[in-house]
Amino acid sequence: MQPIGEILLKFLPLIFAVGFLVPVIDQGLLALGWQPPFAVSTFNFAFIVAGLWGLFASLKGRWV
Amino acid sequence: MSVQGAEILPDNLSELSDAEIMSLERAIVRKHSGMFPWIVVTWAFANVVCWLILWALVLTGLVPLWLGFLAATINLTLVYLPTHDAQHNVIARPGQKLRWLNELVGHATSWMIATPFNALRYTHFEHHKHANDAELDPDMSTHAAGPWSAIWKSVQGRQPTGRRVLDYVDTLQRLGRTDIVVLAGVYRLGFFTILFSLAWSGFALEGFFLWWLPLHLAATHQDFFLSWAPHNPNLSKGRYRDTRSWKSSVGNIFSMGMQYHTVHHLYPYIPLDRTPAAYREMRPLLLARGVETGGL
Repeated sequence: MQPIGEILLKFLPLIFAVGFLVPVIDQGLLALGWQPPFAVSTFNFAFIVAGLWGLFASLKGRWV
Repeated sequence: MSVQGAEILPDNLSELSDAEIMSLERAIVRKHSGMFPWIVVTWAFANVVCWLILWALVLTGLVPLWLGFLAATINLTLVYLPTHDAQHNVIARPGQKLRWLNELVGHATSWMIATPFNALRYTHFEHHKHANDAELDPDMSTHAAGPWSAIWKSVQGRQPTGRRVLDYVDTLQRLGRTDIVVLAGVYRLGFFTILFSLAWSGFALEGFFLWWLPLHLAATHQDFFLSWAPHNPNLSKGRYRDTRSWKSSVGNIFSMGMQYHTVHHLYPYIPLDRTPAAYREMRPLLLARGVETGGL
Protein backbone atom coordinates (compact mmCIF):
# COMPACT_ATOMS: atom_id res chain seq x y z
CA MET A 1 0.00 0.00 0.00
CA GLN A 2 1.39 3.40 -1.00
CA PRO A 3 1.89 6.02 1.72
CA ILE A 4 -0.55 8.93 1.45
CA GLY A 5 2.31 11.35 0.63
CA GLU A 6 3.25 9.34 -2.45
CA ILE A 7 -0.36 9.20 -3.62
CA LEU A 8 -0.65 12.97 -3.14
CA LEU A 9 2.58 13.56 -5.12
CA LYS A 10 1.36 11.29 -7.90
CA PHE A 11 -1.85 13.26 -8.24
CA LEU A 12 -0.27 16.74 -8.05
CA PRO A 13 -0.81 17.22 -11.81
CA LEU A 14 -4.54 16.61 -11.33
CA ILE A 15 -4.59 19.17 -8.49
CA PHE A 16 -2.74 21.63 -10.76
CA ALA A 17 -5.23 20.95 -13.56
CA VAL A 18 -8.25 21.63 -11.38
CA GLY A 19 -6.66 24.49 -9.45
CA PHE A 20 -5.14 26.35 -12.37
CA LEU A 21 -5.84 24.94 -15.81
CA VAL A 22 -9.63 24.87 -15.40
CA PRO A 23 -9.90 28.63 -14.78
CA VAL A 24 -7.18 29.35 -17.40
CA ILE A 25 -9.09 27.46 -20.10
CA ASP A 26 -12.46 28.81 -18.93
CA GLN A 27 -11.30 32.45 -18.88
CA GLY A 28 -9.34 31.95 -22.09
CA LEU A 29 -12.44 30.71 -23.92
CA LEU A 30 -14.48 33.63 -22.58
CA ALA A 31 -11.78 36.10 -23.67
CA LEU A 32 -11.75 34.57 -27.16
CA GLY A 33 -15.56 34.50 -27.28
CA TRP A 34 -15.50 30.83 -28.26
CA GLN A 35 -18.54 28.73 -27.37
CA PRO A 36 -17.98 24.98 -26.81
CA PRO A 37 -20.18 22.58 -28.81
CA PHE A 38 -23.40 20.90 -27.56
CA ALA A 39 -24.28 23.92 -25.43
CA VAL A 40 -21.68 22.93 -22.83
CA SER A 41 -20.67 25.91 -20.69
CA THR A 42 -17.09 27.17 -20.94
CA PHE A 43 -16.50 26.16 -17.33
CA ASN A 44 -17.73 22.60 -17.81
CA PHE A 45 -15.74 22.30 -21.04
CA ALA A 46 -12.61 23.55 -19.24
CA PHE A 47 -13.25 21.13 -16.39
CA ILE A 48 -13.52 18.16 -18.75
CA VAL A 49 -10.44 19.07 -20.82
CA ALA A 50 -8.20 20.06 -17.88
CA GLY A 51 -9.46 17.19 -15.73
CA LEU A 52 -8.71 14.57 -18.38
CA TRP A 53 -5.33 16.11 -19.14
CA GLY A 54 -4.44 16.29 -15.45
CA LEU A 55 -5.51 12.68 -14.97
CA PHE A 56 -3.36 11.64 -17.94
CA ALA A 57 -0.37 13.56 -16.49
CA SER A 58 -0.89 11.98 -13.07
CA LEU A 59 -1.02 8.46 -14.44
CA LYS A 60 1.68 8.80 -17.12
CA GLY A 61 4.02 11.20 -15.30
CA ARG A 62 4.09 13.64 -18.22
CA TRP A 63 1.90 16.33 -19.71
CA VAL A 64 3.22 15.92 -23.24
CA MET B 1 56.07 39.72 -26.88
CA SER B 2 52.48 40.74 -27.72
CA VAL B 3 50.21 43.03 -25.80
CA GLN B 4 46.78 41.73 -24.75
CA GLY B 5 44.94 44.48 -22.86
CA ALA B 6 47.23 45.63 -20.11
CA GLU B 7 48.98 42.30 -19.87
CA ILE B 8 52.08 41.29 -21.80
CA LEU B 9 51.95 37.75 -23.11
CA PRO B 10 54.97 35.93 -24.52
CA ASP B 11 54.70 35.21 -28.25
CA ASN B 12 55.31 31.53 -27.83
CA LEU B 13 53.11 30.39 -25.00
CA SER B 14 53.89 26.76 -25.65
CA GLU B 15 57.32 27.35 -24.11
CA LEU B 16 55.75 28.29 -20.78
CA SER B 17 55.13 25.90 -17.95
CA ASP B 18 51.67 25.25 -16.51
CA ALA B 19 52.54 27.38 -13.51
CA GLU B 20 53.64 30.29 -15.71
CA ILE B 21 50.44 30.15 -17.79
CA MET B 22 48.41 29.98 -14.59
CA SER B 23 50.23 33.03 -13.29
CA LEU B 24 49.34 34.95 -16.48
CA GLU B 25 45.72 33.79 -16.22
CA ARG B 26 45.48 35.03 -12.66
CA ALA B 27 46.95 38.41 -13.56
CA ILE B 28 44.09 38.86 -16.06
CA VAL B 29 41.52 37.60 -13.56
CA ARG B 30 42.70 40.13 -10.96
CA LYS B 31 41.94 42.93 -13.43
CA HIS B 32 38.36 41.77 -13.88
CA SER B 33 37.31 40.72 -10.39
CA GLY B 34 37.10 42.10 -6.89
CA MET B 35 35.40 45.37 -7.80
CA PHE B 36 31.84 46.20 -6.72
CA PRO B 37 29.63 44.74 -9.50
CA TRP B 38 27.17 47.60 -9.66
CA ILE B 39 25.71 46.39 -12.96
CA VAL B 40 24.73 43.06 -11.40
CA VAL B 41 23.24 44.70 -8.29
CA THR B 42 21.31 47.34 -10.27
CA TRP B 43 20.14 44.69 -12.72
CA ALA B 44 18.85 42.46 -9.91
CA PHE B 45 16.67 45.06 -8.23
CA ALA B 46 15.56 46.68 -11.51
CA ASN B 47 14.50 43.24 -12.70
CA VAL B 48 12.36 42.57 -9.62
CA VAL B 49 10.82 46.07 -9.58
CA CYS B 50 10.03 45.98 -13.32
CA TRP B 51 8.25 42.65 -12.99
CA LEU B 52 6.18 43.78 -9.99
CA ILE B 53 5.23 47.04 -11.72
CA LEU B 54 4.30 45.02 -14.78
CA TRP B 55 1.71 43.11 -12.74
CA ALA B 56 0.17 46.39 -11.58
CA LEU B 57 0.13 47.79 -15.12
CA VAL B 58 -1.53 44.69 -16.57
CA LEU B 59 -4.03 44.21 -13.74
CA THR B 60 -5.14 47.85 -14.02
CA GLY B 61 -5.46 47.54 -17.79
CA LEU B 62 -2.78 50.10 -18.61
CA VAL B 63 -0.69 47.50 -20.43
CA PRO B 64 -2.32 44.81 -22.64
CA LEU B 65 -1.76 41.22 -21.59
CA TRP B 66 0.14 40.28 -24.74
CA LEU B 67 2.68 43.04 -24.10
CA GLY B 68 2.84 42.07 -20.44
CA PHE B 69 3.56 38.48 -21.48
CA LEU B 70 6.43 39.61 -23.67
CA ALA B 71 7.91 41.82 -20.93
CA ALA B 72 7.42 39.12 -18.27
CA THR B 73 9.21 36.55 -20.42
CA ILE B 74 12.19 38.88 -20.83
CA ASN B 75 12.12 39.65 -17.10
CA LEU B 76 12.02 36.04 -15.97
CA THR B 77 14.70 35.06 -18.48
CA LEU B 78 17.07 37.78 -17.32
CA VAL B 79 16.49 37.40 -13.59
CA TYR B 80 18.48 34.18 -13.34
CA LEU B 81 21.72 36.02 -14.16
CA PRO B 82 22.03 38.22 -11.04
CA THR B 83 20.92 35.19 -9.00
CA HIS B 84 23.69 33.22 -10.65
CA ASP B 85 26.33 35.87 -9.88
CA ALA B 86 25.16 35.97 -6.25
CA GLN B 87 25.48 32.18 -6.07
CA HIS B 88 29.15 32.66 -6.91
CA ASN B 89 29.56 35.39 -4.26
CA VAL B 90 30.44 37.94 -6.92
CA ILE B 91 29.17 40.84 -4.78
CA ALA B 92 30.77 39.70 -1.53
CA ARG B 93 32.21 36.50 -0.11
CA PRO B 94 31.38 35.16 3.38
CA GLY B 95 32.78 37.48 6.05
CA GLN B 96 33.01 40.52 3.79
CA LYS B 97 31.21 43.76 4.61
CA LEU B 98 28.69 43.56 1.76
CA ARG B 99 27.88 39.90 2.27
CA TRP B 100 24.31 40.85 3.24
CA LEU B 101 23.85 42.50 -0.16
CA ASN B 102 25.11 39.42 -1.99
CA GLU B 103 22.58 37.27 -0.14
CA LEU B 104 19.82 39.85 -0.59
CA VAL B 105 20.36 39.89 -4.37
CA GLY B 106 20.20 36.09 -4.44
CA HIS B 107 17.04 35.77 -2.34
CA ALA B 108 15.29 38.79 -3.88
CA THR B 109 15.64 37.38 -7.38
CA SER B 110 15.31 33.61 -6.90
CA TRP B 111 11.72 33.74 -5.57
CA MET B 112 10.63 34.97 -8.99
CA ILE B 113 11.72 31.62 -10.39
CA ALA B 114 9.93 29.86 -7.53
CA THR B 115 13.11 28.26 -6.22
CA PRO B 116 15.08 28.98 -3.03
CA PHE B 117 18.39 30.73 -3.57
CA ASN B 118 20.30 28.06 -1.67
CA ALA B 119 18.76 25.27 -3.74
CA LEU B 120 20.16 26.98 -6.84
CA ARG B 121 23.48 27.72 -5.15
CA TYR B 122 24.24 24.25 -3.77
CA THR B 123 23.21 22.43 -6.93
CA HIS B 124 25.10 24.90 -9.12
CA PHE B 125 28.27 24.45 -7.08
CA GLU B 126 27.94 20.72 -7.66
CA HIS B 127 27.61 21.38 -11.38
CA HIS B 128 30.87 23.37 -11.33
CA LYS B 129 32.60 20.77 -9.22
CA HIS B 130 31.48 17.78 -11.30
CA ALA B 131 30.71 19.27 -14.74
CA ASN B 132 29.91 16.52 -17.29
CA ASP B 133 30.10 13.78 -14.67
CA ALA B 134 27.17 11.51 -15.47
CA GLU B 135 26.71 10.55 -11.83
CA LEU B 136 27.32 13.82 -10.00
CA ASP B 137 26.57 16.76 -12.32
CA PRO B 138 22.97 17.83 -11.56
CA ASP B 139 22.72 19.41 -15.03
CA MET B 140 23.53 16.23 -16.94
CA SER B 141 19.89 15.78 -17.93
CA THR B 142 20.23 18.78 -20.27
CA HIS B 143 22.80 17.00 -22.43
CA ALA B 144 21.45 16.25 -25.89
CA ALA B 145 22.67 15.43 -29.39
CA GLY B 146 21.53 18.67 -31.03
CA PRO B 147 19.74 21.97 -30.43
CA TRP B 148 16.19 20.70 -31.09
CA SER B 149 16.63 17.67 -28.91
CA ALA B 150 18.11 19.97 -26.23
CA ILE B 151 14.90 22.02 -26.26
CA TRP B 152 12.77 18.88 -26.16
CA LYS B 153 14.85 17.43 -23.30
CA SER B 154 14.38 20.63 -21.35
CA VAL B 155 10.60 20.32 -21.73
CA GLN B 156 10.71 16.63 -20.84
CA GLY B 157 12.89 17.34 -17.81
CA ARG B 158 10.15 19.47 -16.28
CA GLN B 159 7.39 16.88 -16.60
CA PRO B 160 6.02 15.42 -13.32
CA THR B 161 8.49 12.52 -13.45
CA GLY B 162 11.18 14.41 -15.43
CA ARG B 163 14.82 14.16 -14.37
CA ARG B 164 15.58 17.89 -14.20
CA VAL B 165 13.92 18.55 -10.85
CA LEU B 166 14.59 15.07 -9.47
CA ASP B 167 18.34 15.43 -10.15
CA TYR B 168 18.38 18.63 -8.09
CA VAL B 169 16.51 16.89 -5.27
CA ASP B 170 18.93 13.93 -5.40
CA THR B 171 21.92 16.28 -5.35
CA LEU B 172 20.65 18.18 -2.30
CA GLN B 173 19.92 14.92 -0.51
CA ARG B 174 23.40 13.62 -1.34
CA LEU B 175 24.79 16.81 0.21
CA GLY B 176 22.69 16.19 3.32
CA ARG B 177 20.59 19.32 2.69
CA THR B 178 17.13 17.83 3.05
CA ASP B 179 16.18 21.12 4.73
CA ILE B 180 16.64 22.90 1.38
CA VAL B 181 14.55 20.24 -0.38
CA VAL B 182 11.76 20.96 2.12
CA LEU B 183 12.20 24.70 1.60
CA ALA B 184 11.99 24.18 -2.17
CA GLY B 185 8.71 22.36 -1.58
CA VAL B 186 7.44 25.31 0.45
CA TYR B 187 8.44 27.71 -2.36
CA ARG B 188 6.56 25.56 -4.89
CA LEU B 189 3.54 25.40 -2.62
CA GLY B 190 3.60 29.19 -2.31
CA PHE B 191 3.97 29.57 -6.08
CA PHE B 192 0.99 27.34 -6.82
CA THR B 193 -1.09 28.88 -4.02
CA ILE B 194 -0.59 32.31 -5.61
CA LEU B 195 -1.40 30.96 -9.09
CA PHE B 196 -4.53 29.13 -7.86
CA SER B 197 -5.69 32.21 -5.92
CA LEU B 198 -5.23 34.44 -8.94
CA ALA B 199 -6.98 31.93 -11.18
CA TRP B 200 -10.07 31.54 -8.99
CA SER B 201 -10.27 35.32 -8.45
CA GLY B 202 -10.73 35.93 -12.17
CA PHE B 203 -7.06 36.54 -13.03
CA ALA B 204 -6.17 33.13 -14.45
CA LEU B 205 -4.86 34.53 -17.74
CA GLU B 206 -2.71 37.08 -15.92
CA GLY B 207 -1.22 34.32 -13.76
CA PHE B 208 -0.67 32.17 -16.81
CA PHE B 209 0.86 34.83 -19.08
CA LEU B 210 2.80 36.86 -16.51
CA TRP B 211 4.31 34.03 -14.46
CA TRP B 212 3.64 30.41 -15.36
CA LEU B 213 4.32 30.44 -19.09
CA PRO B 214 7.19 33.00 -18.97
CA LEU B 215 8.82 30.89 -16.26
CA HIS B 216 8.74 27.80 -18.46
CA LEU B 217 9.99 29.68 -21.51
CA ALA B 218 12.78 31.15 -19.38
CA ALA B 219 13.67 27.70 -18.03
CA THR B 220 13.93 26.33 -21.57
CA HIS B 221 16.08 29.26 -22.65
CA GLN B 222 18.25 28.84 -19.57
CA ASP B 223 18.67 25.09 -20.06
CA PHE B 224 19.63 25.72 -23.67
CA PHE B 225 22.10 28.60 -23.30
CA LEU B 226 23.46 28.12 -19.81
CA SER B 227 23.62 24.37 -19.77
CA TRP B 228 23.40 22.63 -23.11
CA ALA B 229 25.29 25.03 -25.42
CA PRO B 230 28.41 25.41 -23.25
CA HIS B 231 28.42 21.75 -22.17
CA ASN B 232 27.66 19.88 -25.36
CA PRO B 233 27.99 16.09 -25.24
CA ASN B 234 31.39 16.00 -26.91
CA LEU B 235 33.03 17.58 -23.90
CA SER B 236 34.84 15.52 -21.35
CA LYS B 237 35.73 16.21 -17.74
CA GLY B 238 38.52 18.39 -16.41
CA ARG B 239 39.25 22.04 -15.70
CA TYR B 240 39.97 23.02 -19.31
CA ARG B 241 37.78 20.40 -21.00
CA ASP B 242 34.35 20.43 -19.37
CA THR B 243 33.04 23.56 -21.05
CA ARG B 244 33.58 25.52 -24.22
CA SER B 245 33.24 28.95 -25.74
CA TRP B 246 31.30 29.39 -28.96
CA LYS B 247 30.14 32.04 -31.39
CA SER B 248 26.40 32.30 -30.86
CA SER B 249 24.34 32.87 -34.00
CA VAL B 250 21.80 34.82 -31.95
CA GLY B 251 24.36 37.16 -30.39
CA ASN B 252 25.81 37.54 -26.94
CA ILE B 253 22.81 39.22 -25.30
CA PHE B 254 20.23 36.68 -26.47
CA SER B 255 22.56 33.87 -25.40
CA MET B 256 22.87 35.60 -21.98
CA GLY B 257 26.63 36.15 -22.20
CA MET B 258 27.28 32.41 -22.19
CA GLN B 259 29.56 32.50 -25.22
CA TYR B 260 32.37 33.05 -22.72
CA HIS B 261 31.38 30.18 -20.45
CA THR B 262 34.93 28.82 -20.34
CA VAL B 263 36.11 31.82 -18.36
CA HIS B 264 33.10 31.56 -16.07
CA HIS B 265 33.87 27.94 -15.19
CA LEU B 266 37.53 28.67 -14.63
CA TYR B 267 36.97 31.84 -12.60
CA PRO B 268 33.31 32.04 -11.54
CA TYR B 269 33.89 35.07 -9.30
CA ILE B 270 34.35 37.34 -12.34
CA PRO B 271 31.09 39.33 -12.75
CA LEU B 272 29.06 38.42 -15.85
CA ASP B 273 29.56 41.83 -17.47
CA ARG B 274 33.37 41.51 -17.17
CA THR B 275 33.56 37.99 -18.57
CA PRO B 276 33.82 38.97 -22.26
CA ALA B 277 36.78 41.30 -21.64
CA ALA B 278 38.48 38.71 -19.45
CA TYR B 279 37.92 36.11 -22.18
CA ARG B 280 39.43 38.27 -24.92
CA GLU B 281 42.56 38.85 -22.88
CA MET B 282 42.79 35.25 -21.78
CA ARG B 283 42.08 33.71 -25.18
CA PRO B 284 45.74 33.02 -26.19
CA LEU B 285 46.27 31.29 -22.84
CA LEU B 286 43.10 29.25 -23.29
CA LEU B 287 44.24 28.20 -26.75
CA ALA B 288 47.57 27.19 -25.28
CA ARG B 289 45.63 25.05 -22.80
CA GLY B 290 43.73 23.39 -25.64
CA VAL B 291 40.37 24.89 -24.69
CA GLU B 292 37.64 24.70 -27.36
CA THR B 293 37.01 28.32 -28.33
CA GLY B 294 34.51 27.65 -31.12
CA GLY B 295 35.79 30.44 -33.34
CA LEU B 296 35.16 33.08 -30.71
